[in-house]
Amino acid sequence: MTWEFELVAGPDGNRADGPAWDGEALLFTTVSVPSNTIHNKILRYDPGTGEVSDYRRWTNRVVGLTFAADGTLYGCQSGARRILRYNGDGSASVMAYKVDGKYHNQPKDLAIDSKGRIWFADPVWGPPVVGGLRDYELAPYSIDYRAVLRIESPNRDAPLTRMTFDTTTPLDVALSREEDVLYVAESSEEPEGRRELRAYPINADGSLGDYKVLHSFGADYRGIHRGISGMCLDTEGNIIACAGWAQSGPGSMIYVFSPAGQVLETHPVPAEPTNCAFGGPGLSDLYVTSSEGHLYRVGNTGRQGWMLYPKAA
Amino acid sequence: MSSESFSPGFSRIVKPDATLEKISGGHIFTEGPVWNNKENFLVWTDIIDNKIWKWIPGQGTGIIMHPSGKADGMCYDHDGRLLVAGWSSRTVWRWEHDGSTTVLASHVDGKKLNTPNDIIMKSDGIVYFTDPSNGIRNVGMESEDVQKYVDYEAVYRLDLSDGSLTLLADDYINCNGLCFSPDESLLYINDTARRDIRVYDVLDDGTIGNGRLFAELFHDDHGAPDGMKVDVEGNVYCTGPGGVWVTDPQGNHLGRLLVPEDCANFGFGDPDYRTIYFTARSSIYRIRVEIPGLPTYPIPGISD
Repeated sequence: MTWEFELVAGPDGNRADGPAWDGEALLFTTVSVPSNTIHNKILRYDPGTGEVSDYRRWTNRVVGLTFAADGTLYGCQSGARRILRYNGDGSASVMAYKVDGKYHNQPKDLAIDSKGRIWFADPVWGPPVVGGLRDYELAPYSIDYRAVLRIESPNRDAPLTRMTFDTTTPLDVALSREEDVLYVAESSEEPEGRRELRAYPINADGSLGDYKVLHSFGADYRGIHRGISGMCLDTEGNIIACAGWAQSGPGSMIYVFSPAGQVLETHPVPAEPTNCAFGGPGLSDLYVTSSEGHLYRVGNTGRQGWMLYPKAA
Repeated sequence: MSSESFSPGFSRIVKPDATLEKISGGHIFTEGPVWNNKENFLVWTDIIDNKIWKWIPGQGTGIIMHPSGKADGMCYDHDGRLLVAGWSSRTVWRWEHDGSTTVLASHVDGKKLNTPNDIIMKSDGIVYFTDPSNGIRNVGMESEDVQKYVDYEAVYRLDLSDGSLTLLADDYINCNGLCFSPDESLLYINDTARRDIRVYDVLDDGTIGNGRLFAELFHDDHGAPDGMKVDVEGNVYCTGPGGVWVTDPQGNHLGRLLVPEDCANFGFGDPDYRTIYFTARSSIYRIRVEIPGLPTYPIPGISD
């Protein structure tokens, strides 16, 4: 079936990312390009009215968003290198941000399991932090690897655990429905780097086993093929992933991978897709954000999204 | 070499052979140095380490507050109490003689302040402070709540008699240091992002007007306008590339005091106010100068 990409918001020229359905409307983030200003937002697209409104302002480069099972919103604040919890009173709380006493990098995307543990991809992503200690000054106080990390409970004093030891550019994570597999997008933009969709088994003790490569993105005479920047799961356990770009390879694309890594479907996207999430009353509309600020909706995927929150109406 | 002259007049500021001395190290992000001229000691903050330190000449250093709410700039009031630009606490507060703290300002128009950065008191007891939002977004300087509510980065006048806040200027990208001219007829305010210093006339009602560009501090070295003070002759000292720049009242750069680490602030001290203490990231340095600085007590010695 050919997917129909309906443009429902944008583009405004800024990067859109972090789509997350709140039960009634679609939240997504906007990050200005290439400025490192803090004048960024979380926007809310209401499909009932077609209106886009400000949900949070001054977000300082928040990229990925997700809801915990209890309906609390969390975001990856790449501009200040931390995970935030967005509280109902309008405030924003900082989650644990040090691993073994050192600052982590710039979180890009996250997933929260049924125990409330926050798994997040922590690459070096986007411009450096503005103000305070400069990047070179922060280096001695910072981790020197780029991994998937896990905050063990949603607060500032919780332990923060390094989960992967074999990643260089993790951009997104997703948890299988049974929470026994962690999918990781390893998406280096270096020619010698890896661009892979990986499946890490989650051991009974919560640690990760050796990963399987479900899919590997290639290169051609025009250059490397962009790896996955955002993904979500459907109720059948398939992985819906945003990858590719116009400059090389098969182009801007949404892939549907089976849990075994078989490519079930590919769908060219009218713009470079950054991320995707299911929404709508039946969680059967796929929302897709783009690097230029488009928000698309695909109403005919024939699939239903899997997420801990919200549940389908 | 601890200084660099841009103008012959700079030799009146600092002797060419004056050298920098390190008096304390091992810190992370030092700020807010202020000399206590009643008991002769220096205090400063370490924002990221969440402490306020005290150094007594000949005796050494000690922590006098931890945690400090990641406090930033400080000054003394008429009674010798520290007034603190609370930065990550998102308040302006006073450290009372009994050790307790009093919040002096926390909200404007019902909205939480950004992150108060630097603070001064005029001789009439009115407080002036800057409220940029860097503290919300800097790594390691976060507060309990990192949501920004106020739409601007502003400079405020705070009347402690009734707690009222008056917005003085909101057209800054990153307002930071501020100081009065010796006769308090002028208020200097710098902008770290624009790398400039603006000067205003102080009006009879304590507000400011006629803002204009005073100086720009561009150079390839690291550093930008942050802490700022004046000496008794009205020369303006401001952190900038490479250290602390000295500019005469007409806006001519005279020279700069070179500091080996990024210098966020500094303060005049010692009983004659002829030593400059620099808070430069992990260290506190000092150098002797020739013209006394203006004490940060609004009226020197009033509490004696």
